[in-house]
Amino acid sequence: MSEPAIKLEDWAQGIPMRAGPVSLGLYQPSPETMEYWRGIDRRELMLRHCDHCNRFFHPKRIVCSDCGASDLTWKPASGTGKVYSFSEIHRAPSEAFAAGAPYINGIVRLTEGVHLFTRFIPDPGPVKIDAPARLDFRVLESKWMLPVFLVG
Amino acid sequence: MASRLGYSAAIVGIGRCMTKREDAEKLTALQLGSISSANAIKNAGIKRGQIGAFFTGRCPTSYRTLQYNQTLLNELKIAPVFNTEVTAHGAGALGTLELGVLAVNSGLVDYALCVTNEASGVWLKDKVGQNAAGESNPQFEAPFGPTTPSLYAQVACRYMHEYGATSEMLAKVAVENRNWALTHPYAAMRNRGKITIDDVLNSRMIASPLHLLDCAVNYPGGISTAFIVTRAELAKNHENPTWIAGFGQQTTHEWISERMGAYDLDVIGHEPNLTNTGCATAAKQAYEMSGLKPKDIDIVQTSAPFSFVHLMMLEELGFCKKGEGGAFVMDGNIDFDGGMAFNTMGGYLSFGQMAQGLYNLHETVDQIWGRAEGRQVPDADIGLVHGHGGILASHSVMIVSRERAQ
Repeated sequence: MSEPAIKLEDWAQGIPMRAGPVSLGLYQPSPETMEYWRGIDRRELMLRHCDHCNRFFHPKRIVCSDCGASDLTWKPASGTGKVYSFSEIHRAPSEAFAAGAPYINGIVRLTEGVHLFTRFIPDPGPVKIDAPARLDFRVLESKWMLPVFLVG
Repeated sequence: MASRLGYSAAIVGIGRCMTKREDAEKLTALQLGSISSANAIKNAGIKRGQIGAFFTGRCPTSYRTLQYNQTLLNELKIAPVFNTEVTAHGAGALGTLELGVLAVNSGLVDYALCVTNEASGVWLKDKVGQNAAGESNPQFEAPFGPTTPSLYAQVACRYMHEYGATSEMLAKVAVENRNWALTHPYAAMRNRGKITIDDVLNSRMIASPLHLLDCAVNYPGGISTAFIVTRAELAKNHENPTWIAGFGQQTTHEWISERMGAYDLDVIGHEPNLTNTGCATAAKQAYEMSGLKPKDIDIVQTSAPFSFVHLMMLEELGFCKKGEGGAFVMDGNIDFDGGMAFNTMGGYLSFGQMAQGLYNLHETVDQIWGRAEGRQVPDADIGLVHGHGGILASHSVMIVSRERAQ
């Protein structure tokens, strides 16, 4: 299994992003999501949580959209959810991804009520709306270790 | 009954510069923008020193400068007292005119120059990769390998599930877009002939449920459009002012999967979803401002890079009920022969998509004044233009009219 491309401690250095010949500048894994990536390193999906409102949020949230609190905590997701939407991608964005095409990307609705973009793997399948999904971790074509969901 | 801002300003100058793929001279975005702006100033019959406000769309991807608005201003040798780039993705194109209406009505300036331009079809080779990286969240979407079609497909998947729309209904839009494109000398697909619903369904799958012919073609050239806006009292001194009857705009998110983190908002409702967009709010405001209703509209242009988006927008613009867009198009309501005048250049699917799509407004003004040779819609007095960008993130609606209602 290859190493994740992100060096968490070097976020300020940035990773060059390219699309074919076009430079898109530097991508910087950001300090506010560091705990999410650390969670992935130990195979946990970490979510943001407002302890005042008892509400879960997307791992990228900085403030609670209900009470405005900025002291959101991190809590691990249970790892279960349902398929909310999906698309099977035949025309991939790059050669690396084309090697894995077709593949299914979509939005999972976690039991905690948070929606995340993810890769759906039919196991046993099929991938369809409201099908049960369970958390796993895979190194995808991007060489990133990512939270994926097994469906069926 | 129009509200205070309804019909308070008009377009009194219009300019365009377009290139096709086969043109020997490949103009840059800056050349296109400078030429179209100069044309609009000439068309309005004003001096460049009279331009008090200067609003541009976002910086063209093919001509990156930190301050594109000022780069273009520097070419034109104008000295506005109020200038800025209007982002909001594709909706920012109409946003430049909306800001223009507010600026000229403030009394601080008399004339606003509003410009968008792009030449990406000439310069960018890898549009699929470039778009996917630019339109997905770098940390939470891009590493999974999305493409722009696959991000829109998340909405298509829900729309078809929630409202029972079929692939045939989506395909019907592509068929009618193509029919209009065959009449336009600059349309990307003008030489490709008619297509059928089966052609769309049999074209290769790009990102389910979207086939190749459900997707916009990237406009293979360059387009810049420019408009001069002034307030009512000054518009009366100009020939053929096109009245801005009403407008509206709303933005709900940046990344499509995070749209699902938005809740308890009027436009979206209590529960997060993907199938209500800001277009409905923008349209409501535009109708209320103008005192007009969907039945008053003679010609409609939508900013829809995928077939299903047309169906959603027909609903949110009020031409049919929510969820009935598919049945509406299957009943012949947007047919080239006998339907409403809908995307008279061929739409993004067959004319081609270029940047922020302000050429849709230029086309509408042309139609209103009987200048749309070969595709002229009879009695097109009132037109509605929709602009959108991001993954259904930002929406603008503008209604323009030949006559000034009170």
